[in-house]
Amino acid sequence: MGSHIDANGDTASLKKRKRGPKDEASPLIKRHQSKSLSKHSTNGVPEEDRKANGTPTRRSKVIVLDTDGDVELADSGPVGELVVRKAHATWKLSNPMGGRMLDIDPMFSADERYLVLTYNTSLQVYTTEDSLLVRRIPLPVTRSGDGDFIVSAALSKISPEHVWVGCNDGRVWRINWTTGAGAETPYEINKYVLDMDIQSMEYGDVTKDVLLVLQTSESTPATIVAYDEEDLSKGEGTLLHTFEEKPNLLRSAANGKVVVATSGSTFHVGILKHKKKGVDSPELEYRFYSIGVPDLAASLDIRTTLKTTKKGATELQQVDVVIGGARGGIYLYSDIAAKLTPEGHGAVKAASIQPRKYHWHRKAVHSVKWSADGNYLISGGYEQVLVLWQVDTSKVNFLPHLSGCIENIVVSSQGSSYAIHLDDNSTMIISTEEMKPTTYISGIQSLILGDHPSKDAMVRRVWKPTDEISQPLVTAINPANPSQMFLCVGNGQQATLGGGGPSTPQVQVFDTSSFRGVTKHVFARTNPTDANITNHGAPIVEPTVTKLAFSGDGKWLASVDEWQPPRADTEVFITGKKTAEEVRRERREIYLKFWEVSADGSAVELVTRIEEAHHTKQQETILGLASDPTSARFATIGEDGVVRTWTSKFRKRDGIAVTGQDGQQLRAWTCSQTISLPVSGQQDLTIGLSERPPRSGALAFSEDGSIIFAAFGEPSEAVVVAIDTETGAIRDTIYNMFRGDVRSIKSLGSCLIMLSEDLTVYDVVSDELLYSFSLKETSRPAKRLAQLAVNYESRSFAVAAPVPNEDLKLMRKGTQSELLVFSIEDSEPQLVHTFSNLITAVYPAISSSGFVVVDAAAQLWSVAEGAEQPPMLRPLAELGVGDAADTDKQPGSMDLALGDADASDDEMQDGDQDVEMDVDDDYDVHQAVVAPERLTEIFNTAPSFAMPPIEDIFYQVAGLYAPKPVRT
Amino acid sequence: MAAQVLPLPQLKLPMGPSPVTPEQRYWKSFRSQKSHTSTAAWPISHISFPATAGATSSSSLVAAAKVNDLFAVTSGPRVDIFSIRKRELLKTIGRFDSEAHSGEIRADGRVLVAGEDSGKMQVFDVGGGTRAVILKTWHIHKQPVWATKWSPTELTTLMSASDDKTVRLWDLPSNNPSLTFTGHSDYVRSGAFMPGGNSNILVTGSYDETVRVWDARASSSSVLTFKHADPIEDVLPLPSGTTILAASGSAISVLDLVAAKPLRLITNHQKTVTTLSLASNGRRVISGSLDGHVKVFETSGWNVVSSSKYPSPILSLSVIAAGATQEDRHLAVGMQSGVLSLRTRLSGAAANKARERAAEEAARDIGTEALERLDAQKAKRKRRELTSKAMDLLGESVDAAIPAGASRTPGARGSKRAVKLKPWQRDFREGRYASALDRVLDPSSNDFHSQTVLTLLVALRHRSALRDALKDRDEVTVLPILKWVRKHLPSTRFSSICIDVAFHLLDLYSEYVGGSTVLASQFRMLYGRVKLEVEKSQMAIMTGGMVESLMVGGAE
Repeated sequence: MGSHIDANGDTASLKKRKRGPKDEASPLIKRHQSKSLSKHSTNGVPEEDRKANGTPTRRSKVIVLDTDGDVELADSGPVGELVVRKAHATWKLSNPMGGRMLDIDPMFSADERYLVLTYNTSLQVYTTEDSLLVRRIPLPVTRSGDGDFIVSAALSKISPEHVWVGCNDGRVWRINWTTGAGAETPYEINKYVLDMDIQSMEYGDVTKDVLLVLQTSESTPATIVAYDEEDLSKGEGTLLHTFEEKPNLLRSAANGKVVVATSGSTFHVGILKHKKKGVDSPELEYRFYSIGVPDLAASLDIRTTLKTTKKGATELQQVDVVIGGARGGIYLYSDIAAKLTPEGHGAVKAASIQPRKYHWHRKAVHSVKWSADGNYLISGGYEQVLVLWQVDTSKVNFLPHLSGCIENIVVSSQGSSYAIHLDDNSTMIISTEEMKPTTYISGIQSLILGDHPSKDAMVRRVWKPTDEISQPLVTAINPANPSQMFLCVGNGQQATLGGGGPSTPQVQVFDTSSFRGVTKHVFARTNPTDANITNHGAPIVEPTVTKLAFSGDGKWLASVDEWQPPRADTEVFITGKKTAEEVRRERREIYLKFWEVSADGSAVELVTRIEEAHHTKQQETILGLASDPTSARFATIGEDGVVRTWTSKFRKRDGIAVTGQDGQQLRAWTCSQTISLPVSGQQDLTIGLSERPPRSGALAFSEDGSIIFAAFGEPSEAVVVAIDTETGAIRDTIYNMFRGDVRSIKSLGSCLIMLSEDLTVYDVVSDELLYSFSLKETSRPAKRLAQLAVNYESRSFAVAAPVPNEDLKLMRKGTQSELLVFSIEDSEPQLVHTFSNLITAVYPAISSSGFVVVDAAAQLWSVAEGAEQPPMLRPLAELGVGDAADTDKQPGSMDLALGDADASDDEMQDGDQDVEMDVDDDYDVHQAVVAPERLTEIFNTAPSFAMPPIEDIFYQVAGLYAPKPVRT
Repeated sequence: MAAQVLPLPQLKLPMGPSPVTPEQRYWKSFRSQKSHTSTAAWPISHISFPATAGATSSSSLVAAAKVNDLFAVTSGPRVDIFSIRKRELLKTIGRFDSEAHSGEIRADGRVLVAGEDSGKMQVFDVGGGTRAVILKTWHIHKQPVWATKWSPTELTTLMSASDDKTVRLWDLPSNNPSLTFTGHSDYVRSGAFMPGGNSNILVTGSYDETVRVWDARASSSSVLTFKHADPIEDVLPLPSGTTILAASGSAISVLDLVAAKPLRLITNHQKTVTTLSLASNGRRVISGSLDGHVKVFETSGWNVVSSSKYPSPILSLSVIAAGATQEDRHLAVGMQSGVLSLRTRLSGAAANKARERAAEEAARDIGTEALERLDAQKAKRKRRELTSKAMDLLGESVDAAIPAGASRTPGARGSKRAVKLKPWQRDFREGRYASALDRVLDPSSNDFHSQTVLTLLVALRHRSALRDALKDRDEVTVLPILKWVRKHLPSTRFSSICIDVAFHLLDLYSEYVGGSTVLASQFRMLYGRVKLEVEKSQMAIMTGGMVESLMVGGAE
């Protein structure tokens, strides 16, 4: 997976640009500099006049002014001869965190205290008590970069601490979710697995787990095969049934006495033939029946009632099957076993068995389940409504306006709660009595590239969600609270991918240290309580938040959102020579919004909304948004070729300060400067507007906030302009730095890092090109996903770009990305890594030296220099407190063995248990959930000689771990 | 969890050029005008009410009750004394030989001083009897006395300013002035004691275009002199004691005593500013001018926060404060025409009562049904009050008290109730877009407001439902939409959505124009409106081009 740099210095996505040393007349660095920057440095020391002869001179010694004011003499010799410092720190990539919950039923542990969720690359165990992550068990799902994915996961029936996980390529894991063991050694079936279910069956005296696997391969038709553990190691099982068509769902019930599989609009019921008691033959024989369903089956559930025979054995009394259709109907086949004639092996006439039909859903029923008592059906789908059907009367109750489409519903074994998996990467547990959520687990809700299409796509519809990621994920880190990450998300995956561009009207605040979604803010128009499709069945397009930036102090947040009507709505407006695209552009709504962020980051309040921040005769796209690192100031660049800076001021009405409810003075944001950029090529904006090639631009503040670097222009003609932020005057213009569209520009020290089809590092002070690479993949979607991030602390920058791949024209599943980390003074990348998923965002970690990467599998990676690791969550088990909750006195209760608890943690828990003895009530509470950074805060405050007295430290640590005193 | 259903939020439009500010609303709330014309329409030259001061604690209870209830209005050879509470004329002092000036009631509300054109100064008893008793007469000034003021700290001290260019300080028992300040070279028409502790400092304004500050301890000459461009009509020291406002011509100058320099010149009036007054406990300054305008200024940046126009040149005004917190009660404006306009701001219980009375009157006008509904509402409110009172009496021992005669308990009021959607909002939510549009376009409904229509249309556009709402209409139902579009097309906020709606309407109904004369005429009128707008835009573009060429020429 890891990649390397070849002899030419090329990597998978970047090609080193070759230039001879001292190549001053190179076409690439030909520039037309009229005047040089007179001031750039932090401390305002004017550069000595270096335009003596009008052309930049190369000097052997250049004074480099660091941001901290240190003056050092750097040898900035000719380009190719940069001295590479060998002693650079090593960069390390962390393990991925997070991921996307798969469309697989969540699993309750036997005592309902834990919930096991299947993610795309891992299994994760959460407590239902307080929604905390106990253990993350990574699964090596992707073997060779091709589309391997988990199809099924189910708890073992005989040992409740084991989970069976089936992958589509035939690997089956048996994982102990209390320890994480078993992830390394899968069983191999060597067939494509379509679906899988687990039942316990009696083999004579022993009861074994039997895997019922719906499998297929290129040459053979689909079959249901039963495997026990021995069979799995051999790779051969017992064939139960062979299908002519390709089924998609398999469920079984009552210790395997009933097996139901659906394929298209047929479902197959298999009833276990009676065996003579005591015969320990492992032979399983089923009698299969095929029954037609009026719709394509999208979901399936079985309910069985058993009766005890006189001999003490159990046999089936009644089998009820419910099938959710792809067109919204729910079909209930009650007591189906009785209606099947034992003689008529094979197809049963469809007319003989008529289902009851329940129809409310507009689209596919993603999940339908029986309630524990069998009186209700619970179903959910695209409508974001949980529907509760009374089976006998067809009366419906709703739990409406959930935050995403419902993917899975699970009724707990005791029937007291429902686990609902929504497609915004969250799972909640709802109590059945009050319909109140008791547990909420929310992951990163960014877009992912899914493994298989949604169930709604089983039927041809008016629209189809796109399955590509066309834009990078927009993120921002709260500087006041670096563990808070703000991501622009939509109302779930499907709603986001609805029409055309992504609809991301919301911002999720995600805490990377506790690794869960803290809250969601609405940043643009969204109507979660209204129907999410139009009367014609098309999705409702919501605005896209395209830019997000925090002010340096973290008190203000600026956002840009964009909306344009869908193409179908605008056909009537097309007149004359206008194209549909122009008509839509005329009706775009682009807002620049300024938000005040509360101190803890949990609340944001809209302060100012700017409607036409950039406009000509229509609204123009805001191409870039940058925030001044030193003060509360933002700058925007628009397609109209204007840079505007925005500052806040106290709101006044007739000279009287406007105060809020608590008497605090209110602020408003206004445009403080407007700088028109020199536009290359055609100057007049009003003439030939339609033929104008699309322009691109980006801007960045210098590290000290004294200069804005703005890049703007038509493809390959973009120029970089240095604007003095004091006066708004243009101090310098740099030409010919870009090839193709401008992607990004960043400033680091005296260097500018520019990303277009080239990656260029240019020293502004010494006026020379340090080094440059060119992207190998230059297709439009690939260029849009090339990203650049700069970390001031480690003086380094990271570039992420998709790896070229001929098969993929769009950024779909299977696209790989490469991440390169450069130090500013070194043209050799310090880290090159290929990610098997597309990188959707890369941004610098605040107050540490590294970077954080988000990929298209909703995983978070941290890249850090040396041993330093950002404060990211580790599961409770790694912290050694996982079983602190496990204080049930029952001897049979599971013990979560600790993977890596060290001695001190053990002692700590001993102490906890002592406390338990005394208190003995309220034992469900986690005694101590201590994030590691809290301890770090205590112990790493000062060097050892300057530490506070040991007594103070003791009390601080004790304060962290000790339970709150019980009020009597 | 499941989100609550909220009504469609009204569209927030960019702020227009002149939204009504809270300050304007406040000054508009001085309503219930009462006009009082002076005898023989003599111009109202002075309005004053006794400023409360801490030094008057010696007065009796009866007097204290009276303290805040009198204000004096000087017009011609009379001083009228009004009641603040009742806004009624209590008595008239007419014992002047010539025109009276500057009738001022002392802080304890017992005596009044006034000057007159003959140069006489008289002190009257305003207490008992309809006929005011003259307590004291001075005839030292040889020219008309224009300003007489009581000292805010000492009950027996007063000042006077006269056309004989002198300013005098008097002690009530003595017959001669205790001090005489000379230095002005023309008529002295205004004067005041400095507030705060330093009441031995006086400030006067004169027709010699100067404002002079005098110190009783250094009586030889003025301590400070501010020269202006025009005669000074009025001076007003601010409660801070360091700033003075002076009305000079059509400007008001802000003078700083500490720095001894003018801070600012306020030039909002068109004609001579005749009078200045404090308002809102000294946080606002109000000015009246011969141009008939009353302007309210805030005291930090001296911006106009509110303004109103009176029919006649204003000679005097005062914001009369009353009550324990000295809140603004009346805005009294005296005009050249002899009309005294009293506008009153009701607060607390009085405001409630007035509102109730207005509601009852309105209901009476509508009919008996409305009156009954109002009565039911009142009864309900009374019941609720009764219940809460009963609850208070019972303390916490019971959960609910059932009032006698109440048909049902008004319980569970505090619980969060779902916001009730209006009919059009419910129609919109449930996808009956055409019906929702009909409801907001119905002129008889309560929701008929252009901004509501705009909100709905924009929401329909966002939901891709604009065409659904417009299609399948007949001649009668399509007309309101066409009319609305025609009416609002010229407004910039509405034009974008109007254009979209018009496009849809043309697309949907153009084939029926031949069959319906009404539709045809409506479309023709729409065409006319569009043509007009196009002409306007062309004019604007031409103007823009001309200005641009001018600017290019200017730059060279």
